[in-house]
Amino acid sequence: MLGRYKNYIAVALTLLSIYLLVPTVFSFNQIRDASEKSGESLPWYVRLFPDKQINLGLDLRGGIYLELEVDVQGALAHRSEIIASTVTRYLNEKKIAFDQTGILPKTSIVSLILKNPSDLPAVKDYVRDSYGNNLVELSKPPLLVFRMPAGSPESYQSKFQEVVAWSREQKSVLDVQLRDQDIEVTLAKNATAEEVTSAFLAKFPSGMEATPLKAGLFYTQSEAYQKTLKDETLEQAVVTIRNRIDRFGVAEPNIRKLGDSRVVVELPGAQDPERAIALVKRSGKLEFKIVDDSVPPAQVQTLIDTARTENKIPEGFTEDINVQINEALKGKIPADSEIAFETQFDPISKKVTKGIPYLLKKKVDVSGEMLSNTQVKVEHNDPYVAFTLDSTGTKAFGDLTTANQGKRLAILLDGVVTKAPEIKTAITGGEAQITLGQGDYNSLLKEAQDLVLVLKEGALPARLTEATKTVIGPSLGKTSIDRGFHSTLLAALIVMVFMAVWYKGSGLLADLAVTLNVLFIFSALTLFGGTLTLPGVAGIVLTIGMAVDANVIILERIKEELAAGRSIKAAVDAGYSNGIRAVVDANMTTFFSGAILYYFGTGPVRGFAVTLMIGIATTLFTGVVLTRSVYEYILSRYKITKLSI
Amino acid sequence: MSRISQTDIPFMKYRWYLLAVSMSLVGIAIFFLATRGLNFGTDFKGGVTLVVQFKNPLTEAQINDALQQDAQVHAVVQRFGEAKDNTFVVKSDIPQDKQEKYSQPLIQGLEKNFGAENVSILKEESVGPKVGKELRNQGIYAVIFAWIVILIYIGFRFDYYFAPGAIIALIHDVLISIGAFAVTGREVNLTVVAAMLTIIGYSINDTIIVFDRIREDLQRYKGMDLISLVDKSINETLMRTIITSLTVFFVSCVLFLRAEGDIASFGFAMIFGVITGTYSSVFIASPVFIFLKEHGHRFGMGKKTMAVGAKSFS
Repeated sequence: MLGRYKNYIAVALTLLSIYLLVPTVFSFNQIRDASEKSGESLPWYVRLFPDKQINLGLDLRGGIYLELEVDVQGALAHRSEIIASTVTRYLNEKKIAFDQTGILPKTSIVSLILKNPSDLPAVKDYVRDSYGNNLVELSKPPLLVFRMPAGSPESYQSKFQEVVAWSREQKSVLDVQLRDQDIEVTLAKNATAEEVTSAFLAKFPSGMEATPLKAGLFYTQSEAYQKTLKDETLEQAVVTIRNRIDRFGVAEPNIRKLGDSRVVVELPGAQDPERAIALVKRSGKLEFKIVDDSVPPAQVQTLIDTARTENKIPEGFTEDINVQINEALKGKIPADSEIAFETQFDPISKKVTKGIPYLLKKKVDVSGEMLSNTQVKVEHNDPYVAFTLDSTGTKAFGDLTTANQGKRLAILLDGVVTKAPEIKTAITGGEAQITLGQGDYNSLLKEAQDLVLVLKEGALPARLTEATKTVIGPSLGKTSIDRGFHSTLLAALIVMVFMAVWYKGSGLLADLAVTLNVLFIFSALTLFGGTLTLPGVAGIVLTIGMAVDANVIILERIKEELAAGRSIKAAVDAGYSNGIRAVVDANMTTFFSGAILYYFGTGPVRGFAVTLMIGIATTLFTGVVLTRSVYEYILSRYKITKLSI
Repeated sequence: MSRISQTDIPFMKYRWYLLAVSMSLVGIAIFFLATRGLNFGTDFKGGVTLVVQFKNPLTEAQINDALQQDAQVHAVVQRFGEAKDNTFVVKSDIPQDKQEKYSQPLIQGLEKNFGAENVSILKEESVGPKVGKELRNQGIYAVIFAWIVILIYIGFRFDYYFAPGAIIALIHDVLISIGAFAVTGREVNLTVVAAMLTIIGYSINDTIIVFDRIREDLQRYKGMDLISLVDKSINETLMRTIITSLTVFFVSCVLFLRAEGDIASFGFAMIFGVITGTYSSVFIASPVFIFLKEHGHRFGMGKKTMAVGAKSFS
């Protein structure tokens, strides 16, 4: 096959493997780091060798493995909101009268309800020109409107509460909203208007009147567009997280997409895991909203307390709970307002002690995208974050503060109110600041620095939730390495001794093959940048067990041929040419298993699959090619009368 | 010591008895899988796993009590490593709504009871229930996919008289090995699935050795009756079947006895896999092959696919 060059190839490969492994064995990276720090040039012998070392998996050196679920649905809805507000601006410009614009709750459907049907063609044209195939007009309106018999706002509200209760039991109803005298019902996918209308009117017969929408336009995002948006969101999440981590300073982070809605973050050897995770997960959403004074604060508090008891909403002020409270208060607070909390912390335990509720206008006029500069400043020993807005932001902020003088302006960070000062005069300079909670100087400074980092790198395109998290301390890594390598060595030793005893000289040759095999596995891992994990170590042990199998199959065959009375040379030839079939078949099937495992597995298990597959390739080489050439060499060189087998 | 002469055991004579043994083992495995089920690890069912090292010696019960009282969480506490390490594995389920910061109450509960300076978290792992289910399904798909791939490969390399026997043997091996996890209540996680796939890849090795020889002997001893021929092939390859299994068996035992946690589980699975894999290549795969050769024509397996081409590599 390769003729006499086989021997040279084998020797060359062995030397190459040793060359590749020298940096790992002698920890050249440490020398490199040290010389980088001290500024001295690298020792000459370090420069002779490649700079690659074997990558150790998180389980062997400690670190963080995070899988984050990206709320792509939320991102889709957000995009629709932006589209709706762009169209609204167009309507205002063209002086086209409309009842309402926006997205239907819990969907990403853009809804435009105009006053006059005669305006429909113009708006349709505008949407087609601006968004082309990205938006698809719904032929049937997904929204039903029912008008209640005339009465007081209180009577509307109490009636609406009944409707809310009813809607919770209806699968075909996605959401209900109260707008003055009207109740708006959003249909679930696949629900028909006729079915819901008759169900609604059967439940509430007294004077309810279905009012058909004369000038309603509804658009969904096309599937292709949704796919693009999802991909973009995921891509952007990866980039944002990567930028944050790079600034935070973790060596060799690995951030990548997983499937179509997840991001994997691997941070080997991270020192302060909690801080790193918080930095990654933080949305970094900065918003300015006007406080709605139409309901007095004391009443807001009472409303929330009743909502909590009535709907069994747990204590606390997290984002989820906030959503639940707003859901429960639907119809009780103005439709264009929402509740948000300012949280207060216990300075020592850092636990949330209190949440001050605010009723805020939903509309966001100024947001984090309009920042031009952010920095940490310190005043009276209190670190805070100062920021400057860009030109759009400065103008929007100026307009907002001019129009709302005397009202309060809430600054929200990730949906939580950090401060809500009164607007005393219009602010046209475009500068503002965020003060932080209580705490000691150092922790506040860290918090301020992290916040600046997050604001500078921009907000995440969507909410992230932890799907899985693994944090491994460096000391566990060390014990694992020791135990893993000890058992590897022991297993290898047992197998090798067994082979030597059972097959004598030929067994020793098989042992040599196995030793070289392990050497090749490690150097292949280095060369291809594979990661060595603890299951990977197990994979190597297993490979040792299987690598000798190839030798066993061939050796047994040689024995058989010898017993049949063939000459040594003929027996060796027959042994290899007949044995190779079974060896290749057997190894191919294991290789398939490894490939499947690589495809389905994650993290450490993938490491196992990689070592298993590399091991099979090297086994075929060492077990079949290498040992055979040694036999041929010996048999051609010396007069062997009896094979040691 | 290696001079063991060629054996001459009439394996196929006993095939019905041993089939009965296999069937009852598989029956037991299925019974336990159905009644007791598998003890899924954190990665498969969602939950929190902490590996905690304490400065002072403690017992499992002390830790459990502390967690019950303070964090109000039900946790399973197990010692990890040797007694002098003072290291424990603490596992707990996550209620769906509290998923995000669930490890916090556990850690705080421990720190409050034993003092923050005495507690060091070596490893923290939390998996949301949704992901757990996904991983579990993926594991099952992976195993089934591996069966199919190997069925096709064996069908391609040998022929379709051989392939079904090989796959039935593999299903038999995986069922008994995973059954061992159901019987002992050992934790089943991603590493165990990796072991199952390795068993599939490995156990087929022995089957291939035997099949390869049957294929060869079919050509060499034309006209010999099938049962004697299969017996002859098995006997001829018996030594290498035993020795190849022994080497992997040694390795698996070392992993099971010497390593810890996942790797030990891996070894445990492999021990069963090696034993059943060796056994099944002789007593499952070969009888199925005989059966298909003798009765295959009834299921539409034509005589013409009999052509046995020993595809060679050299």
